[in-house]
Amino acid sequence: MEIRSKWKLLRFFFTNLFLFAVWVLFTADLSAFSLLAGILGSLLISALTYDIFLSEHQANLRFFLPSFWGLFKFLLFMFLELYKSSFQVLVAVITGKTNPRIVHFRTRLRSDLARATLSNAITFTPGTLTLDLNDDHLTVHWLFCNTTHTKAAGIAIKEKMEKQLGHVWL
Amino acid sequence: MSIREIFALICFLIAIIFGLGGIIGLFRFRDPYSRLHAGSLCGTTCALSTFFGLLLLSSSIGMATRIVVIIVFFLISAPTGSSIVGRFIWESNDTEQTKKKKEQVL
Repeated sequence: MEIRSKWKLLRFFFTNLFLFAVWVLFTADLSAFSLLAGILGSLLISALTYDIFLSEHQANLRFFLPSFWGLFKFLLFMFLELYKSSFQVLVAVITGKTNPRIVHFRTRLRSDLARATLSNAITFTPGTLTLDLNDDHLTVHWLFCNTTHTKAAGIAIKEKMEKQLGHVWL
Repeated sequence: MSIREIFALICFLIAIIFGLGGIIGLFRFRDPYSRLHAGSLCGTTCALSTFFGLLLLSSSIGMATRIVVIIVFFLISAPTGSSIVGRFIWESNDTEQTKKKKEQVL
């Protein structure tokens, strides 16, 4: 089989698997009729949308299959980081001392999913807000800005998250 | 009161403190971006703490699973929503403050 059609089949399979898992999770029903309806529905939808769900140039399984131990560690880290920066913003609300600026930096992550997750993680922590993600270029609004230098701002905002995300996706 | 309920109450207390701080920040800050930061204090920290408290109080595995599913979808939707609002402010040149900010950057 040619490599492109093989990759197409694999993408179709993973889209189908994902849709079916979500179906089972939401219906919470393991009767034969429900499972059959889920399989038929997910086959139809994945036949129509597999090219949108996993685009062709994401040509590596590690680009969208997470390592689960890494994902667990990343989530724990994010919750810790969330409370830390929330406390910072709470102090800023009371004292009124902020220095809001817009900074730009680049990310090393290669897959689209990892980049989207990084920008969502930056927005998730109060104090930093992603305004734009363009290929590997992020525009971030930072409430406690102490530098507008690209590299220094990147290290201050996303260095730890990026390191953790590098273990989850490529 | 069981130990589970005490921990849940601590979670709710944290949620109340951060939610209150978020609402105060929403009125104290002066530019739209900073207000969004205060809003995300309300929208993510407060909501997530409430979910953790509910997870501690949940009576069965089925209910806990559903709360975990809600948390996963919340983790995706909450930052996306505030990012869309921030992007809209960034792209619309209407407000005077945004213009000034863009001049500072460029």
